[in-house]
Amino acid sequence: MFPELNSILNTSPDHFPRGEFTLVSDRQADASFLIHHFLSFYLRAGCKVCFLGLVQSFSHYSAVSQRLGVNLAQAKEKGQLVFLEGLKETLSILLRENRSSDTDTLSFLSRSPCTDLRGLFGFVRGCVRGEQGPWGPPVLIVDDLSVMLSLGVSADALLDFSHYCQATVCSELQGNVVMLTRGEDEEGEDDEDLGRLLTGLAHSCHLALRVRGLATGYCKDIHGEVELCWRGGRTSVNFSGLTDHRRVYQYKIQDKGVSFFARGTSSAVL
Amino acid sequence: MLLEIIDGTEGGGLVVIKDSVNCPGRCLLKSCVNAALRRKESVHVLGFDVSEEELRAGLDGEAAKSLVFHNGYTDPLCWTGMGTGQLTALHFSAQEIRARISQSRGPEPVTLAVDSLSWVLRHNPTASVCQSLQELRRDGLLKRILVLLHSDLHQHGMVDSVCHLASTVVTVAPFSGLGGVVGETAPQGIAMTTQRIKSGKVLQEEECFTVGQDLSVQVYGRPSQPGLTEPEPEDSQADPAANLTFNLRLSEHERQAKDNLALPFAFSQEKKSALLRPRAGGGQILYEPDAADDFDQEDPDDDLDV
Repeated sequence: MFPELNSILNTSPDHFPRGEFTLVSDRQADASFLIHHFLSFYLRAGCKVCFLGLVQSFSHYSAVSQRLGVNLAQAKEKGQLVFLEGLKETLSILLRENRSSDTDTLSFLSRSPCTDLRGLFGFVRGCVRGEQGPWGPPVLIVDDLSVMLSLGVSADALLDFSHYCQATVCSELQGNVVMLTRGEDEEGEDDEDLGRLLTGLAHSCHLALRVRGLATGYCKDIHGEVELCWRGGRTSVNFSGLTDHRRVYQYKIQDKGVSFFARGTSSAVL
Repeated sequence: MLLEIIDGTEGGGLVVIKDSVNCPGRCLLKSCVNAALRRKESVHVLGFDVSEEELRAGLDGEAAKSLVFHNGYTDPLCWTGMGTGQLTALHFSAQEIRARISQSRGPEPVTLAVDSLSWVLRHNPTASVCQSLQELRRDGLLKRILVLLHSDLHQHGMVDSVCHLASTVVTVAPFSGLGGVVGETAPQGIAMTTQRIKSGKVLQEEECFTVGQDLSVQVYGRPSQPGLTEPEPEDSQADPAANLTFNLRLSEHERQAKDNLALPFAFSQEKKSALLRPRAGGGQILYEPDAADDFDQEDPDDDLDV
């Protein structure tokens, strides 16, 4: 959890807006630090977190969270965190190992052509609607959705999945959804499916965080820019008050946190 | 023209609001719905994109009670099986919509709002969606159909074929200029309205707009763009030489005076003699060729060749 980002977003673990869909996307930069932020943020806030880790192993997230002061293994034991090891399970499905019934969640990957992500949604639904225990509102975090495109899932199927997650978690249960999507790759290749996915998600999100590298190239002291774009959820009726609608900050990732500053005001520049 | 659409005086038919990620058009759709509710019209909404609660937020409390929301948000693809009898995006047909509307309909003509058609288009063939829309439009049941369409989510052909059916298309784009009207904050967006009236005439207008907290729309008139200003009427018979502040022709007397004038840098005989006249105290060049000076009459610059 990065306190500076909390003050920018005007949230804290004690007080945060509910029923919001946050889209995190990146282009020529890595936005996974935001995923680590949201994971530790919601765990500290006492929410029940369902995490779909599709690009890294549990031990990776656990190691990073340790640095941010949150113990994932403990949270998992207590039932606060439900972690889907997508990285390992997708591999075993694609290699046709371990065809047991409990891998139904990701079984859509073995179907060709892949029709829908109903199984994965079923997993999420069971997780967020199940026994809540002492935990707060449910939170779904996905890292990252676009990797499904590489596994042969169509953009439309992913948009349907995200719609169902939003309808269940945000609207029905008043929880929050955070999804990460990778943008175009380094060569700037225009991937049609990826573009559709990003556009579709951007239409339905309440807050979009777009991370991108500096246009001027690599810099030791400024790692990139993050653009915050509020699209007016239930908190504000519409998008009036445009002055507050879109803001851009530059950031620098440090050892145990991230510092955010206005454009051109890095301590290395001034 | 935008205000006419919100007031519902533009003549009914199919109204398409085309938006993109950079400038959401839902606020305009909600303004239209709100205005229709205030006029005590009966309004039905096919909601796919946002929940009922989110759609109702901001609408006039009293008037919003008469709004009928058909829930296509919770389970549009029948995955959960929770909402039996709910609206689905899978079978978008004129009959089904007509049946839904007639279930809870007053005697007055109905305004139908679709939020958004993009959901329907993603799950149905374009041709059948267009057919259903056309069928609904021709139907006497509906007074107006308001459709929100995310144009950047579909191929151009799909968007165009839907817009082709529409009697009015409002394209919403972000306002890019600096400051709008003096003393005001910049408008939220630009609405380009194309309206096809029954006589076949096509009207086009571009307006800046802002939607307030109470969903009232403020229109600032046309943005001034140099590329779009109408060309001024040109008078072909006007003499370009008329009304000049200087003279283009010379009289005989003027011509003589001009010819007599010696130009300052012309080398006249007078000037030459003035320059060549030896002056007192002026320098003199004495040159006595010695034996080494091999002066060649034919090539005086011989010594320059080294």
